[in-house]
Amino acid sequence: MLLLSACGAREVVVQGNFPKPLMDPLPLTLGVIYTDEFAQHEIFDEAAGRAESDWLVKTGDAQVEFWNTLLNGMFQEVVQIKDSQTLEAYKNTVDAVIIPAVADLQYTIPLHTNIKIYEIWMKYRFKMVSLEDVHGNENGDLSIKPDQYFADWTLTAYGKTPTAFLQSDEEAVNLAAVVALRDAGANFATSFSRVPDIAAWMAEGLQPPPAEATDIQRLEND
Amino acid sequence: MIRVIQGKLIAGLVLAMSILQGCVNATVDEMTFLEPTEGIGDASVVIIGRRHAPDYETEFDFIECIGDHIRRGDNSISVLHELDFINMMYPWFEPRTAPLRTDDIEKLLSQERVANRFEELKLEYMIWIDGSTIETNSSGSMTCGVGPGGAGCFGFGTWGNAADYEATIWDFTDEIEVGRISANTSGQSYMPAVVVPIPIIAPVQGTACDSLGDQLLKYLSAKM
Repeated sequence: MLLLSACGAREVVVQGNFPKPLMDPLPLTLGVIYTDEFAQHEIFDEAAGRAESDWLVKTGDAQVEFWNTLLNGMFQEVVQIKDSQTLEAYKNTVDAVIIPAVADLQYTIPLHTNIKIYEIWMKYRFKMVSLEDVHGNENGDLSIKPDQYFADWTLTAYGKTPTAFLQSDEEAVNLAAVVALRDAGANFATSFSRVPDIAAWMAEGLQPPPAEATDIQRLEND
Repeated sequence: MIRVIQGKLIAGLVLAMSILQGCVNATVDEMTFLEPTEGIGDASVVIIGRRHAPDYETEFDFIECIGDHIRRGDNSISVLHELDFINMMYPWFEPRTAPLRTDDIEKLLSQERVANRFEELKLEYMIWIDGSTIETNSSGSMTCGVGPGGAGCFGFGTWGNAADYEATIWDFTDEIEVGRISANTSGQSYMPAVVVPIPIIAPVQGTACDSLGDQLLKYLSAKM
């Protein structure tokens, strides 16, 4: 039974301790929306052959915990916009709203590459919108007009961990994911003000460019 | 009687395993200047591994080994723990953001919070360790079996390791590089097995750690 169970799906729920960034906070009050897709992010990789296992890597909880810690250290104030109620509560106090998304995540283990390294590569997509362009529906859901985002950019992150004695595949993948999250944070923290749309927005006194009239779209479908 | 002999045999094997070590060749090169002849006083030192290369990364336990070596040699030297330091300074010492040249120190210190943290830590020297230990070759074979009368192995295995590390010492106050020390070690390990496998391990990484640790200790300590 023990031998048979080794062929089952292998699951990693990413966990780690994430330090608060050491930086002078930007004088902004930032709203953040974690979509369900982001907060429950996971990847399932089906085994390619009999010798391999299915892999399920759940990063959602760690993503939310990490980005909360990072954003709270980077900005003067950060509030989470969850629904219509919180949207109403923070009206006129939030400079902009950021919506992070995991656009892609890939991993490799020594079985795939024959290199004694576990790797995780992530691609994030960030969008920023002014609070006025976020709308609350009657059922409490949030929606945003397409093309209302005044900034839309991607960044990549990479984490690796070498094989080590008595370290299981799951522990190594977890560690690689934590390193990748930290790398994402380092990349975000050092490049945020240099994103051309963000730099222009900050230079113009936090005034987003005029919006185009378009249909409203539910946030989850974005 | 047989039990006594068996006991002595096992004790002898355990003793042999703990005594037998493979040979290691070590080469150490040193080039240092502006040595703190009076020691570093109540200032602190941090030893950090370089991890920005795609194909290797300096092992955390190697960095810990050098730190322990320096602490053991002179307990008045305050060596900060690498992971604690990296976490305290996040995100400025991640593989993506870590300073690569002494010119980058000024940029780092231009941030008030970072400068204040360095002042709190009384950081005088930052020592970067770059390198890794790799397996260079392996050969041989071994067969193990279990039967009603007991278990045992028969065969012979051998493998080689090579460690190549370089320590770069930065004087954090003067923002200059004050030394480079490199250690290259290599050795061959063996594992003969006649019933019981007897590992004869060449402590390649341990020797590199001791070699670098000794030189760094000589540089930093007023006692040496």
